[in-house]
Amino acid sequence: MKALVIDDSRVMRRIVSGILNGAGFDTVEAGDGREALDQLEAHPDVVLCCIDWNMPVMTGFEFVVEARKRQEWRDITLMMVTTEGEHDQIVRALAAGAHEYVIKPFTPEIMLDKLELLGLLDPAVQA
Amino acid sequence: MSAVAGSLPTVDGEAIEAIAQDFFATMVDGEHGVLVPGYGEMAPLVDARFTWVDVHGETVTRVLVAVGRSTGDMLTRALLALPDDAPIGDADFADAAGEVVNVIGGNIKSLVHGGGALSLPQVADAAPDCGGAPLISETWFTWRGAPLTLTLWNLPEHAGSAGRP
Repeated sequence: MKALVIDDSRVMRRIVSGILNGAGFDTVEAGDGREALDQLEAHPDVVLCCIDWNMPVMTGFEFVVEARKRQEWRDITLMMVTTEGEHDQIVRALAAGAHEYVIKPFTPEIMLDKLELLGLLDPAVQA
Repeated sequence: MSAVAGSLPTVDGEAIEAIAQDFFATMVDGEHGVLVPGYGEMAPLVDARFTWVDVHGETVTRVLVAVGRSTGDMLTRALLALPDDAPIGDADFADAAGEVVNVIGGNIKSLVHGGGALSLPQVADAAPDCGGAPLISETWFTWRGAPLTLTLWNLPEHAGSAGRP
């Protein structure tokens, strides 16, 4: 399975990609929402996007809105990974089409629990 | 922790300490107790660097972290899982320092009354001009034996870096 990690911080992309790689995902990366749309065009096999909220050029929220307009991407799981932890922000992202929400800071276990909840953990990798 | 005076916004100093410690324990050190609150007089920052975000709400709250450059380099190596002797360039330093204040500031946003949009992080080798804004809180820590400060400033309305929707 392939995941797209969207964050303007290389540090955070490394951390998230490391967790996903350990869970058996191949990963590609984008530094903002606009670049992420381009990556989805280039990688139609992406099944999961991990999305920061606060980014230059195009925010994570704007990316979710744009991605949800595309019929061919409707099966992609969108997971916000962000410091924006207020209830209103979470509700706003979920209403726009995000499936899950991870608040920074997080441990690998928190992220893996979310992936399991979403049915995206490969049992062979978990074993 | 500094006293809060007059009609300035109030923040929970212990909660701010906990946010910083939780970030370091979760994403930097893998354990609690490495970033610890400092007491007494703080050792001066050597070759100081400053990184900040602005929380735009009913007022603008600036969340500012200051560290010595060598401490910042250690922090960058920890976040990027680099060897202890790996050289750190300015871009990697700025990325790591910016993410530290982004996560801490984003969590502090929930403590700030009327907290709204969060600006993108800024990094500089001089303290930002806060325009004489009052200090809301000041905490200093030691991390791996080196000092690190976390301060909150109440900026004038419409001041600060632009927040994102």
